[in-house]
Amino acid sequence: MSTLIEQPRYACALAAQQTVLAIPNSHPIVHAGPGCSSKAFGFAAFGAGFQGEGYAGGSHVSCTNSSEQEVVFGGENKLRDTITGALKILNGDLFVVLTGCTSDIVGDDSISVAKEFATEGYPVVGAETAGFKGNSYYGHEVVVNAIIEQFVGDIKPQVQEGLVNVFSVVPYQDPYWRGDLEGIKNLLEKIGLKVNILFGESSAGVSEWKDIPNAEFNLLLSPWVGLDTVKLLEEKYKTPFLHYPVFPVGAQETSRFLREVGKFVELDEKKVELVIGKEEKRFYDYFISISDFIAEYRNNLPVELYTVADSTYGIGVSSYLVNELGFIPKGIYAIDDPQNSIQETLNDILLSRGGEFKDTFKVEADGGLIEADIRKKIGESKKAIILGSSWEKFLAEETNNLYTYLSVPLHETVILNKSYVGYTGGLSLIEDLYSSLFKRKTTTSRTQLFTN
Amino acid sequence: MAEHKLRQIAIYGKGGIGKSTTTQNLTAGLAELEKNVLVVGCDPKADSTRLLLGGLAQRTVLDTLREEGEEVELNKIMKPGFKGIKCVESGGPEPGVGCAGRGIITSIGLLERLGAYTEELDYVFYDVLGDVVCGGFAMPIREGKAKEIYIVASGEMMALYAANNIAKGIQKYAKKGGVRLGGIICNSRNVDREIELLKAFSEELGTQLIYLVPRDNIVQRAEIRKKTVIEYQPESHQAVEYRELARKIEENQYFVIPKPMTQERLEEILVEYGLMDLVEEYHI
Repeated sequence: MSTLIEQPRYACALAAQQTVLAIPNSHPIVHAGPGCSSKAFGFAAFGAGFQGEGYAGGSHVSCTNSSEQEVVFGGENKLRDTITGALKILNGDLFVVLTGCTSDIVGDDSISVAKEFATEGYPVVGAETAGFKGNSYYGHEVVVNAIIEQFVGDIKPQVQEGLVNVFSVVPYQDPYWRGDLEGIKNLLEKIGLKVNILFGESSAGVSEWKDIPNAEFNLLLSPWVGLDTVKLLEEKYKTPFLHYPVFPVGAQETSRFLREVGKFVELDEKKVELVIGKEEKRFYDYFISISDFIAEYRNNLPVELYTVADSTYGIGVSSYLVNELGFIPKGIYAIDDPQNSIQETLNDILLSRGGEFKDTFKVEADGGLIEADIRKKIGESKKAIILGSSWEKFLAEETNNLYTYLSVPLHETVILNKSYVGYTGGLSLIEDLYSSLFKRKTTTSRTQLFTN
Repeated sequence: MAEHKLRQIAIYGKGGIGKSTTTQNLTAGLAELEKNVLVVGCDPKADSTRLLLGGLAQRTVLDTLREEGEEVELNKIMKPGFKGIKCVESGGPEPGVGCAGRGIITSIGLLERLGAYTEELDYVFYDVLGDVVCGGFAMPIREGKAKEIYIVASGEMMALYAANNIAKGIQKYAKKGGVRLGGIICNSRNVDREIELLKAFSEELGTQLIYLVPRDNIVQRAEIRKKTVIEYQPESHQAVEYRELARKIEENQYFVIPKPMTQERLEEILVEYGLMDLVEEYHI
């Protein structure tokens, strides 16, 4: 990672307040100075397709608003008062204390303060999420693990056959997380599993979290975020995990994913194939219907692919577009800044999806360097599409190429339950990709596109 | 008439070396010379002005700030002590919580805003806790604050380790500003060849051993009575020693950017003056 970066793609660890808010009826209590929580919200929710504040999010997050007093004399008492107030006023199933830089620098023992309340029977958990400790991805894992350690706790699992906990995209950091998790849950349910999806509208909330130890297995659907969590669960509850690193988008990837899950948990192969057959038929029926469009606009269609997203989303989407739609991959940029040791693995995963990906993959957290690299590669081409954030929109427009939104920051779109996951997500991506052709030019036929 | 110049002085040194005792006796000596002195204790224990005030007689800046907010009167936090010496205690958090370093920054900032640094002052002394452990404890030597520093040390090994480390902090600030080391004050522990060791150590740092204060139990007797030696027994030999230290400080013209030594060189000096032999022969 560079020392100075342009166009940041993630916030600090405190953005994990959004992870808490993603659990139905769970509330963050932030122990930090004024502004930290608002900025985390601004980046991760407002700047991720205006996803809303919710009951106790956005400008309603409980916060100690620590000032110089708390820095000099310590802020534990103020934190105690704030937790007491939050428990009194807010209706919630789970409260997670998240610390900011100041309280962690001066050494407030915030986790112990949270534990005082937990000991009295309140659903309170503490996590150290100082910005200097890491980014949004790090904070997400810290919070998830803290909830497991402190709230789910040391209980004896009552294993239920077919029950799976899913750990995948980071809520809000993946702007499509709500639709994605809903989509993953639907897919898994179709092959006969019962799913604790843990976050979002399709989650039952805290009861699902309490149910975590009882799962037959954990599914990690991400290259690296969440690996510590599933390892923790393996150690704590002896739950095995399936680490499937490629986010399934489109028919090929999704069918492959479902087969792998079915095999891991020894589901009836025939049943899984039945589901896959039905889904693929539906997918390709729709898929075929774009052939008229492709024939009409064949000379205007983008063919060169640039993807700027985290390694979970970027690899899955790129694989789909290259293998099923024939795009030529030019630059695949992973912005989640994984450890060096994982970077080679990510490249290998991408290469396993096709030799075309050779020399296209780059881990880069600096948006400025990504932009410079794309500019160099794109040259005079007008045949490219860049899948990325609002930053990539500027670049695409400037170079007279196309864009589709895939990653944060996203300030020019509204996202509710859109998703590119699975069979339906793949179709949705086709719609967005090809509709982008008309974003800048109003046209009713290909001749107008040529002349304009 | 010569232009009146305020001298701001910071006293550093290993914890327990006698910084507060030395500072208070030294400022008592300066007060006897009709000097107008302000002592700012920069230690959460708030015991830097006890001997001048006859006890822990005042509220600290930070306690006052915490309880009353920033609209405080200067006279609530600054009390006159022995011979009119103005005494302020920065104070700080309870042990084990909060950030004492930030407390010092806050406290000195407030003193400035409240106008504690008046024109008639001849001296401001900052009595700083222990080592320069973080940015907060370097506040008194930031630009615009103390320009002179004295390190209190003794012939004991750890005191010299600490003094050398403090010199590193001073060097950092000296290179970008006007702060200078005025010398080493030896608060004697009656260690063998102490004066030779301290002289050699000071010379290696590029500074001077400005004074050696001999060990005398009268200091402890005066402390029990919450007084400086100068107030407790003005005619005693130790009172004369402190007056002499005050005179040396008053007349000091030798200010340098210190040259802290490597650990190896420091240990060479210790070996040269026999200290290591003593350590090796020490058995429980």
